[in-house]
Amino acid sequence: MTTPAPEPAGNTHPSHGSDEPTVLLLRLAGPLQSWGVRSSFNRRDTGAEPTKSGVIGLLAAAAGHPREQPLGELADLTLGIRVDQPGTLLRDYHTVSDYRGRPLPQAGVSAKGIQKPTSPAKHTHVTTRFYLQDAVFVAALDGPPGLLTTLDRAVRNPAFPLALGRRSCPPTQPLSLGLRTTDMETALRSEPWQASAHTREQYARRLGRERGLHQPLHAGTIDCAATIEDPRGDDRLQDAPVSFDPHQRAFTSRQVRHAWLAIPTGFDHIDDDQPHGQADDPDHDPFALLGW
Amino acid sequence: MTYLSRIRINPLRKDSRKLLSNPRAVHGAVMGGLPNHKPDDRVLWRMDPDNPHRPHLFVLSPTRPDWTHIIQDCGWPDADGDHAAVRDYTPLLSQLAVGREFAFRLTASPVQNTATPTKATPSQAARLTAHAEDGKRIRGFRMGHRTAAAQLDWFLTRTDRWGFDIPATRSDPTAPGIHTPAPPTAPHPTSPPGPDPNPPYEVRITARHRHSFQKNGHGAHVVFRSATFEGRLRITDTDRFTTSLLTGLGPSRAYGCGLLTLAPLPGQQT
Repeated sequence: MTTPAPEPAGNTHPSHGSDEPTVLLLRLAGPLQSWGVRSSFNRRDTGAEPTKSGVIGLLAAAAGHPREQPLGELADLTLGIRVDQPGTLLRDYHTVSDYRGRPLPQAGVSAKGIQKPTSPAKHTHVTTRFYLQDAVFVAALDGPPGLLTTLDRAVRNPAFPLALGRRSCPPTQPLSLGLRTTDMETALRSEPWQASAHTREQYARRLGRERGLHQPLHAGTIDCAATIEDPRGDDRLQDAPVSFDPHQRAFTSRQVRHAWLAIPTGFDHIDDDQPHGQADDPDHDPFALLGW
Repeated sequence: MTYLSRIRINPLRKDSRKLLSNPRAVHGAVMGGLPNHKPDDRVLWRMDPDNPHRPHLFVLSPTRPDWTHIIQDCGWPDADGDHAAVRDYTPLLSQLAVGREFAFRLTASPVQNTATPTKATPSQAARLTAHAEDGKRIRGFRMGHRTAAAQLDWFLTRTDRWGFDIPATRSDPTAPGIHTPAPPTAPHPTSPPGPDPNPPYEVRITARHRHSFQKNGHGAHVVFRSATFEGRLRITDTDRFTTSLLTGLGPSRAYGCGLLTLAPLPGQQT
């Protein structure tokens, strides 16, 4: 972590004064991820996609910001998430107790402001935690080019350990895919599919089976779901961070837009003569008999 | 006059989620598109998610509809192409003749009625005891078929009264020179003798769902089961068949069941 990372080959250095749109692409992948949206107490769920507070928190940790420091221009970054591999849900049965044999504290506090022990004594809490297994996301951050260049360097050489939503979920490499000088949707649309080699071959085999072929079908594009921050979007998510200060944690809402993006699969060879994806024409067309 | 409409639904819009999850919301949206609706008119609709990214809503209405509100809230208002295709249904009705064959699709709610349920729910038990005191004959309780076999049986036993029948699957004789080996063991002792009582017909169930939702978000749940049948049919009675097409089949017709649609058979020119 202390040795400076070499400059990435594909990294372009936009001039700070230019108003060319710049996007930082992150590949959020790991054995486990957990992106809490509204959970508290003993049941900790995960959202299906990374939250903005989770991604901004990862960048703040990489840049070495302490939790009490105001977010500043990090809060003004706009985020787009692409789901390359949705992953599966893991439910973790988990117990918590005080290893010194003391009863766990209760929610109420004494006159001195200290948490009282539970009475009757309660030694073990049962908590349920949810994780996403084998999920891969691509996060695109749009903002001032200078800030994104700094963040790109910070992610490659982070000040604090990085995590995918929870400290027990470390990311796999490569985390940063570098900077792109396009707008966010174009960057998400043109970045090749980031799923693992096994998943990609599984997809080709399934596609071949669905088409009735006796061999895998390597399609040129695949449809991926995307959630893009857009003030004119028609959905609202309550996950934009205002402050990570442990005493004043606050969030606000943001408008997003959902989309399907046809992205390149990145296979070595592509069977272009075969149609890919699902046909727009349904199998059963009642209008065919009405003179159309 | 009857009109068939096909409306594109954008599943990524917020209001579309309500339509895709709640048949009552679709019923409201469909009825809202019919300005000259009379209480006796039968409106049928069906949601077809052939491609889950691009679902289509089909509506059969006796008057000419306008779907601007659905397009504004749940479609792609600025996109290319037909947002909602509306077409007169008479060209199809004039083609119907005994013996003609079509590919069909039907989402229906297979049910059976019984006045003596073996395991009565609390509300059914209350009604049964109330009627036992009156001494009057009770109206049967409607209970949904839950297995695919029962749902298919429900469909096949009713095709005659709907004016069509389902041809049995054609199986060609084996090519000369190919020897079919005899079954290695004798037939199972419990299998009935004689020909197969359930020969394969040209129909299959492609989707089965259990729907449960509340009216206006409170009160008792409306629960029904639907099955989507697809296959090939042959018209046996034109009048009955026209009635089936225009008024629908089976119960839960307000909630997306009962619309029978026809299409040309695969490999056949229209």
